[in-house]
Amino acid sequence: MRRVVITGVGLVTPIGTGRELFWDKLTSGTSGIGPVQSFDTTGYAAHLGAEVKNFDPSGYVRSRHPDSMGRASQLAIAAARMAIEDSKVDLTDRDRLRIGVSMGTTSGEPGMVERYNDARKIGGVESVPADILPKYPCNVIPSNLAIEFNLRGPCLMIPTACAAGNYAIGYGFDMIRLGRTDLMLAGGADSFSRITYSGFARLGAIAPERCQPFDKHRKGMVPGEGAAVLVLEPLEDALARGATIYAEVLGYGVSCDSHHMTAAHPQGDGAIRAMTMALKDSRKTTADVDYISAHGTGTPTNDRVENIAVRTLFGERAPKVPMSSIKSMIGHTMGAASAIEAVACSLAIHTGVIPPTMNFTEPDDGSDLDYVPNQARKTDPEIILNNAYAFGGNNASLCLARVQ
Amino acid sequence: MIERVVVTGSGVIASMGAGVEEFERNLYAGCSGVGPSPLMGENAVAAEVRNFNPQPWLGNKGIRVLDRSARLLSVAAYMTLHATGLQAKEGAESNPDLGLVCGTMFGSLHSITSFDWSGLTDGPNYVNPGEFPNTVINSPAGQAAIKHRLGGVNSTISAGLVSGLYAIHYAAEFLRFGRATALMAGGVEELCEESFVSFAKTGVISKRGCPQPFGPDRDGTVLGEGSALWMMETAANAEARGAKALLEICGFGATQDAHDIGAFRVRGEGATSAMQQALQAAGIGPDAIGCVIAAASGSRAGDEMEVHALRNVFGDKLSQIPVCAPKAAYGEVMGASGALGALAAGMALAKGTIPPTAGFHSTDSGLMLSAQPQLLKTEYALVNCFGCDGNNASLVVKGLNQ
Repeated sequence: MRRVVITGVGLVTPIGTGRELFWDKLTSGTSGIGPVQSFDTTGYAAHLGAEVKNFDPSGYVRSRHPDSMGRASQLAIAAARMAIEDSKVDLTDRDRLRIGVSMGTTSGEPGMVERYNDARKIGGVESVPADILPKYPCNVIPSNLAIEFNLRGPCLMIPTACAAGNYAIGYGFDMIRLGRTDLMLAGGADSFSRITYSGFARLGAIAPERCQPFDKHRKGMVPGEGAAVLVLEPLEDALARGATIYAEVLGYGVSCDSHHMTAAHPQGDGAIRAMTMALKDSRKTTADVDYISAHGTGTPTNDRVENIAVRTLFGERAPKVPMSSIKSMIGHTMGAASAIEAVACSLAIHTGVIPPTMNFTEPDDGSDLDYVPNQARKTDPEIILNNAYAFGGNNASLCLARVQ
Repeated sequence: MIERVVVTGSGVIASMGAGVEEFERNLYAGCSGVGPSPLMGENAVAAEVRNFNPQPWLGNKGIRVLDRSARLLSVAAYMTLHATGLQAKEGAESNPDLGLVCGTMFGSLHSITSFDWSGLTDGPNYVNPGEFPNTVINSPAGQAAIKHRLGGVNSTISAGLVSGLYAIHYAAEFLRFGRATALMAGGVEELCEESFVSFAKTGVISKRGCPQPFGPDRDGTVLGEGSALWMMETAANAEARGAKALLEICGFGATQDAHDIGAFRVRGEGATSAMQQALQAAGIGPDAIGCVIAAASGSRAGDEMEVHALRNVFGDKLSQIPVCAPKAAYGEVMGASGALGALAAGMALAKGTIPPTAGFHSTDSGLMLSAQPQLLKTEYALVNCFGCDGNNASLVVKGLNQ
């Protein structure tokens, strides 16, 4: 089977657009969280958000007018264009049937549902313009990427909510590994939505002031938006063209809690199964892992269960493996989150620096795990586990490594 | 790498039948589920699962919170588990060796729209937090996993109208990589006001309320709903537990037309490539194919495109290959269509005859369609699924009757 490497990354996040700016902001601990601007939160039980501000899609979406698609598609196209440019891969004479797209999302294009309901409220269902809901099904996001860049291979969306980015990268990895495709654009995208926001607000899950993953005083998550796309290709192709290789994808694992739609299994059973499968798929053990990119949303329950899962699986070694959550800075970008985190992991491997957990004051319940508090650290990690958990009980862990 | 992935059972609920037996009987009798759709309105026509009540399969416990998609999928999963003897024992822990891969197009669109509507009209503080979980697209697969204690691989796949076939391919790859030993895979789609209105406004729906795939005066498709699943296992797992392998998954191909979000390439280049890839992956030529389960749904342009693509692949031999267009019976079931087509192919291979095309009387396509079951000449079937959004997928399956 072929080995698969990451040779290009592109992203649009609440702390910055593009690899260099994103990494500068992330390793310097910059927050992208602030009062919600895209709609009026009067009457909501929360007001904080992690939005992508001043995003102009016109420079990125070139095949059609940006208004012909929803915001998640625009964010995804921007990320994909940057990823392709970053990889310096020349697609001109490539067999387009051998290039595919796999993306993840939580909500797809929820803006289309909002427009549908807004129009319906004013003039009834009959008044809703015909072109709104055809832009809704979540697979329009990868389809829009395929059209924008003329990619004719497999094209699918894996909408497994907040673990979706890892699922999508995993699928892209499988396709190349098996020789079904020679290049994949893989990642995740989600746009800020009043639907998601009102749900989390009503659940009382949104932090009032800041996002403090793993902190004793954590009060919740912060909904966000963004997109990340990674260029995946076979190792031999990357070497042949002298590409910069950020990291190698070693394997991944997925599982289901089959316990509750929104609450994680209290002992982290599903999370442990996903990590175990990812390590087995990668032919590695917990002893090999140098850094864990946590799901770390900042909600009391998620972080507690994640602690338990890592403790249970890593045993005595758990405190020696740094584990941080970048959601402390970029918020929870939903289906894009684990794709953005996979980019952060790739750059950690590439630069040797691991990003911090910001806003950390003191550990919960005397936990002795190393959350990389408040300051990035040079640790030269070689093997990284990227964890993501989701509504529906979906869990996905991705294992990345420095190419040997 | 594990080489062989097999099918050991199935479950289905659609307009023309709940359960494999009823579905098969009606499919082979040429009965169609297209008709009045009380769910969609007084004069609406659709292939609705009429008077749908999940209680006989799922009982009453925990049913209230499930939306229609989650109920349809959970019922199909119940049937599949019971058909294969893999159902959870009463009070059992979740089974880490059993998983679910579900294709869907619109997912829980109706739940999402209703949730947003209540926030919009009553205020954001009045949305029902109990309904929030149904707003994620993977909610049916998550709910079915809770209901049936499925702790293994769980994934939702969306590739528009071809989602169901992608889900089968996705599950097959997971089994080949040894990440699972048994997975249910297929699709689900519910009829809801939002998707119904959406399709109606694009003008692809049959005004006569009658889909006539490949028919000379066809005037559009009719939407349907339902869920279909296969139990897929590694051949070794099936053998070890003494389960009979009914079918083998041989090859899959998928392409995107990369043309227009609302249109495909009319000459069928992408569809042609998808079929050719599937044949190549199966290691067989077009001559080995004994029947085709077509994607055709009565769409003027879509059916014509499929004829072009079939001609590209089969050439002059096309007129000798029996073809069935089962969407005449169960409608365009969107994210579940591929899975329903796959089940129809499995039935054809098991019986040695392919189902009739419901209501068929004539075609100018040159295809070998019939209102009667037709004899199958080989043990391989080709299942097509082509979307109006440029997604194409094809699957080759082999019958294991010996």
